[in-house]
Amino acid sequence: MAGHELISAQLAVLAARLPAQAVEELADGLQESYEHHLRCHGDSEVAARAAIAQFGDAEMITAAFVRASPWRRMTLALLATGPIMAAVWAAALLSGHAWDWPLPAPAKILYGVALLSAAIMLAFSALTTRNYRRMRRAVTSAAIGLILLDLVMMIAVLTLAPTLTWPMAIAIPASLLRVLAVGRTLPAASAAQLY
Amino acid sequence: MRAEALKGHLDGLLLAALEERPRHGYAVKEALRDTTEGRIDLPTGTIYPALHRLERAGLIAGSWSVVGGRRRRSYELTAAGRTALSRERTGWQEFAIAITAALGTRPWPATS
Repeated sequence: MAGHELISAQLAVLAARLPAQAVEELADGLQESYEHHLRCHGDSEVAARAAIAQFGDAEMITAAFVRASPWRRMTLALLATGPIMAAVWAAALLSGHAWDWPLPAPAKILYGVALLSAAIMLAFSALTTRNYRRMRRAVTSAAIGLILLDLVMMIAVLTLAPTLTWPMAIAIPASLLRVLAVGRTLPAASAAQLY
Repeated sequence: MRAEALKGHLDGLLLAALEERPRHGYAVKEALRDTTEGRIDLPTGTIYPALHRLERAGLIAGSWSVVGGRRRRSYELTAAGRTALSRERTGWQEFAIAITAALGTRPWPATS
């Protein structure tokens, strides 16, 4: 691309933060803006600086992409429903006397660590506005983790609980709903590589 | 014009900029600036995510082409987009009439 080194540097910053196709689209716009200013000012340095100023800085652009992304909505939805799911499952496990279930301690610890990791990744995703790619990786990992954790918990309850209590009858459909919702959203969001 | 003043109206503005013909992101920004005589001059980089959001909502459709050796994504209004734009216009006219009445705005004085 016959541009300016400042334009290339700005695109390199954006490329580290945004999806490749979005950067390609931004590159076209930035180049178009640069050529417009070059025609007006006749000086490539001035034109490059004017084009970058007109575009907005990398933080502002990344934050705008993050705000408009389907991944952001997924993060917020999972964070908003997290405490409800936790309360529902806590009630289910308490009502089923889960501490008496024949589960090895390392399995319980591993489950807890995985759950905590998913929560941390979701929180990280919610707080990340400066790097779209990291935000997307974090929420994708958290969402896949939550699907697996939901499935493990449902299998554990159905196979280990001596009786099905009414809190379990609420928790299992709630988890199934979350698995289905995340399972539908993940491929759609992943397919839209621009975003 | 402050960016906060545009909240809630950006979608309508972008749809209006695409009403005449398909445009790419930078051209949408230029069209907005030109039609408002420079009053609305958004940071270009923030136009793109808004266009992507409208595309996901099915209001515009994007397609890639190659122009001057560069890949370019242009957008055009869909049928749903035209309906949404029409709704935006009606809503804005009603809003403007109500606010103008409430503020008691006097007509602009003649300039000649």
